[in-house]
Amino acid sequence: MDFWYLAELTVNGALTGLLYALFAMGLVLIYKSSSVPNLAQGALTMVGAYAVLEMGRLLGAPLWLAIPLAAVAMFFLGLGIERVALRPLAGRPIIMILMMTLGLDIFLRGTTMAIFGGSSRPMGLGVTYDPLFVGPMLISRIHLIGALVSLAVFVVIVFFFRTRTGVRLRAISDDYMASWSVGISVERGVGLSWALASVSAVAASVIWGEIQGVDQSLSLLLLKGLTVAVLGGLDSVLGAVVAGIILGILESVGSNFLDPLVGGGSRDLIVAAVLVLTVLLRPHGLFGRHDIERI
Amino acid sequence: MMMDASAKTDPILSLNSVEVLYDQVILAIRGISLEVPRGGMVALLGSNGAGKSTTLKAISGLLKPERGKVSRGQITFDGQVIGENPPQARVSMGICHVIEGRRVFEHLTPDENLEAAAPPSMTRAQLNAEKERIYEYFPRLAERKSAESGYLSGGEQQMLAIGRGLMTQPRLLMLDEPSLGLAPFLVGEIFGIIQRINREQGLSVLLVEQNALAALDVVSHGYLIENGRIVMHDTAETMKANSDIQEFYLGGGEGRNFHDIKHYRRRKRWLS
Repeated sequence: MDFWYLAELTVNGALTGLLYALFAMGLVLIYKSSSVPNLAQGALTMVGAYAVLEMGRLLGAPLWLAIPLAAVAMFFLGLGIERVALRPLAGRPIIMILMMTLGLDIFLRGTTMAIFGGSSRPMGLGVTYDPLFVGPMLISRIHLIGALVSLAVFVVIVFFFRTRTGVRLRAISDDYMASWSVGISVERGVGLSWALASVSAVAASVIWGEIQGVDQSLSLLLLKGLTVAVLGGLDSVLGAVVAGIILGILESVGSNFLDPLVGGGSRDLIVAAVLVLTVLLRPHGLFGRHDIERI
Repeated sequence: MMMDASAKTDPILSLNSVEVLYDQVILAIRGISLEVPRGGMVALLGSNGAGKSTTLKAISGLLKPERGKVSRGQITFDGQVIGENPPQARVSMGICHVIEGRRVFEHLTPDENLEAAAPPSMTRAQLNAEKERIYEYFPRLAERKSAESGYLSGGEQQMLAIGRGLMTQPRLLMLDEPSLGLAPFLVGEIFGIIQRINREQGLSVLLVEQNALAALDVVSHGYLIENGRIVMHDTAETMKANSDIQEFYLGGGEGRNFHDIKHYRRRKRWLS
């Protein structure tokens, strides 16, 4: 195996991994502020992509304007989802909340199917498919752009969790009752986390929509995103980024070796293996918090 | 029995025949009336399950997440009747409930714990000044302000829980069993600090305790609650001298052994 070929696989794998991280950070946003694993994040991303397209189609907005408009719309959609679907469940067992997010996922996919149909549409960012040459390596431009967006989102989220609002959200995720007792509005905090996760879904949706087209299959990103979030530790933003890079590289390099042996399709096997092994060996992930037990 | 001397001026908190239902059927407290004088320190004593915590939750609004409800009676704070206000509205009125079991935000540092509790309207400068004030009361916390709070000792966590409560700028501080699981010298230290804050800031305090001995040392008045009813109300001195209180809550009395006390207790009822 030629060194440059391996380097190319690694770099492109890492860039793809950062795109997984871009998606996974939406999961972390909600988990870190309310301890809910949001199974509807994939569907939210898909809705985000349609929102961008519709802003362009209905309002005639150019893409640079349609994206922020869609982000605003998604902010309010996130607030609305929390208000209508999740607030009544506050204090219920986590399994109920999990089922609700699963129900949301199915509902959103069904609704977009009914409204927009199932055919794939282009996002239309207009990034050329011609690869970038770095020495002898070929690098995908859209993946590179997406990776930069991902890092930018990472910086914003890390900064956000240090602000006073961010600290309050982390407090809520630690202990609802204690939060109420010191006057934190738990309901509003959880609503805000859904709104922000919906906004981050727009960022992921533009990049992923450009790569694979806009249709219901965007919601399947959930599987890889969840794997990345679990590997990184569900409540760690840094963990999502590191785990994304790890999974991306494993997938890209690993499948290159395994595919000829098993006749293709080993990417998904690698993802599954990572998820299973993480849960078995390190349930709180690489950077996730442990439940503190003092002796 | 009702011989309250200090409540002649209007009290900061008064409960009038308050009744609490859980799940619409379980009667947890059955008509409680009590008063906390402005700037005063009052204890609510009683054994496990007597209704002490429920009483505090009725005042702070924390009943709702547990599907409890004030079904009868009236709670008045600073001349205003508290209706169905959510907890955050009551906190901004000036009621702070330091809940049982410390419950600090474990994954946040003490500094962040205090920050999380500060009202959003507070400026950065005010926030820092408030933090300094609290670290001055609890110097042990200042030493560990950047540690993860879940790893603080029990006493430090209790101090943090109280400090976090003070960040909300309360006029009435309600403490639910702050002595729980702490070494006696720590209980003394914490009660001493509470007393100091009460004196220096004029903060009214409602102290809920099973540890009657320690509590009666720092308050002016006490209420005794049993089976969801107030069965005794008197000054701290009188309560300490009462032989039944000594028997049940202070571990003194006529030197019966535990077995005898259990039998005596079964026969004796405060209200029948």
